[in-house]
Amino acid sequence: MIDAAPPGGPCISTHALSRSFDGRVAVDGLDLDVQPGEVLALLGPNGAGKTTTVRMLNGVLRPDRGHAVVLGLDPSVDGDEVRRLTGVLTETAGLDDRLTARENLEYTARMRGYAPREARTRVNHQLEQFAMLDVADSRTVGFSTGQRKRVALARALLHDPQVLFLDEPTSGLDPAATREVTDLIGMLARERGRTVILATHFLGEAGRVADRMAVLDHGRLRAIGRPADLAAELWDGISADIDLGGPVAHTVLELIGSVDGVLRQEARATGATIAVRDRATMARVLATLTGRGIDVFGATMREASMEDIYFALESNFAAERS
Amino acid sequence: MTTTAPPAITGSRLNTAAIKAIIGRDLRAVRRSKAVVIPMMLVPTLLMVALPLVVGYAARRAGQAGGRIQFLDSLPSALADPIANLPQEEQLLTLVLGYLLAPLFLIVPLMVSAVLAADAFAGEKERRTMETLLHLPVSDRDLFVAKFLTGFIPAVSVSWIGFGAFAIVANGVSWGVVDGLLIPNALWVVVIFWVAPAVATLGLGIMVRVSARCRTTQEANQLGGAVILPLIFVAVGQSTGLLLVDVPLALGIGAAIWVVAVALVARGAKMFTRDRVAGNS
Repeated sequence: MIDAAPPGGPCISTHALSRSFDGRVAVDGLDLDVQPGEVLALLGPNGAGKTTTVRMLNGVLRPDRGHAVVLGLDPSVDGDEVRRLTGVLTETAGLDDRLTARENLEYTARMRGYAPREARTRVNHQLEQFAMLDVADSRTVGFSTGQRKRVALARALLHDPQVLFLDEPTSGLDPAATREVTDLIGMLARERGRTVILATHFLGEAGRVADRMAVLDHGRLRAIGRPADLAAELWDGISADIDLGGPVAHTVLELIGSVDGVLRQEARATGATIAVRDRATMARVLATLTGRGIDVFGATMREASMEDIYFALESNFAAERS
Repeated sequence: MTTTAPPAITGSRLNTAAIKAIIGRDLRAVRRSKAVVIPMMLVPTLLMVALPLVVGYAARRAGQAGGRIQFLDSLPSALADPIANLPQEEQLLTLVLGYLLAPLFLIVPLMVSAVLAADAFAGEKERRTMETLLHLPVSDRDLFVAKFLTGFIPAVSVSWIGFGAFAIVANGVSWGVVDGLLIPNALWVVVIFWVAPAVATLGLGIMVRVSARCRTTQEANQLGGAVILPLIFVAVGQSTGLLLVDVPLALGIGAAIWVVAVALVARGAKMFTRDRVAGNS
């Protein structure tokens, strides 16, 4: 495995990274550290600056100010060397439809400097891994979105890159293919130590695979961290649903509220939704209820999903702007 | 699959493997595109085979009918005298096939290079494949060189192959009338090996600049056509005798075209940076 990253340090680091186009700010003062083997979900609405960030990190665009370090290299100076070690899946698959899937991959391998024999071996391996061997010699013009994505992903992984930039890798994929791709991303990070920057709108998939989320808004990094940490900053406590088999009486709600560590409680059709300081509080609530002879049919602790956190953050940004 | 490192990038030398791969990919894709191949084959066939066949045959018939060519009187003596000194039945054939068609032939490298350059630069944007290319470890310079050669090599190849076909047709039509081979003559050698590559480079220089401003091949072809059309008029004007040249003048014109073409290409190369291309896409 190639390891150009300084040992122990982040493999991607940016400081005040900024870029404008014709006076319109695309990325504004981005400070970011990504550790080796980490999956970072880069989230934000269209035009938030995700693609521009990826382009600057891969040395395709030069920053107006600030700088980036990727695998110990400055992309604006050593762009070719950075791109040698990274793989990119662009939002559109970027396949030449006049060529076959195999040709699209083989030419890329040759452009990456592999000798013809090595290129063919790698391409065959990738086509097999992505279950595309049966259509390998067909022109990609008739391919479904899912097939195109798979060929493009196979191409991005052709040279076993240390860092992967994936722009909407699951858009247009069916649920099974989506699951395959997210599993693959997880495997690359956990088992092979690859670092993945996942720019996406699909919060469910991002939530399944990402270690941390970074939310961009109008080119600015507005939040970054583990989902649990961001949730803790947004909301007090952990939410839980208690199934009591029907609408809850006011006295029962009061009883729940009297337990030390309960932060909020409210009635719902089949029981109550509460917020507790920690898991031990939840155990005390259940003991209190069963101790008073109240039937508890079920209880579910609900960690905030990436989607919950993202929309809460977005709504905070919108409120700030207005 | 082993996890060997991708091959390292070799300093400041041209990355010929990557350049060859880009040219190979582009030309294979072009060969499969009827919209590009048909005009690229049709125009040279018309200009280099059909036209000399028809015009040459007519000139042969007219020459054999006899009579002095009044048109020679209006030509510079350096050009007219050698023709006037030929036997009467050879004069018209020599004038038409040996001189008048030569400038018209320059449309071939101009058109082929322009069509391929539009496909290589604007077409890449249109197909949304440029972004993928920009994320590869190929330097801006190597990318530009590859794209330039994708247009230049076929333009010159088609011109030279077309000239071969023209030589066969012209010598065939004049067979039995002209003593020996009519083509190649000195003017044609200059046109083919000196002026045609210059014109191909000029077409590329223009289209590189034009394509940078366009998002589709069609747009690039239209805008490029507006720039290139006047050049074609000059060539046609030449073929009708308005601007007839002899060999020294053809060498001079070729040199002038080279200067302009190289300047345009150099400027295009300077402007061809990832940052600019990605910023415009």
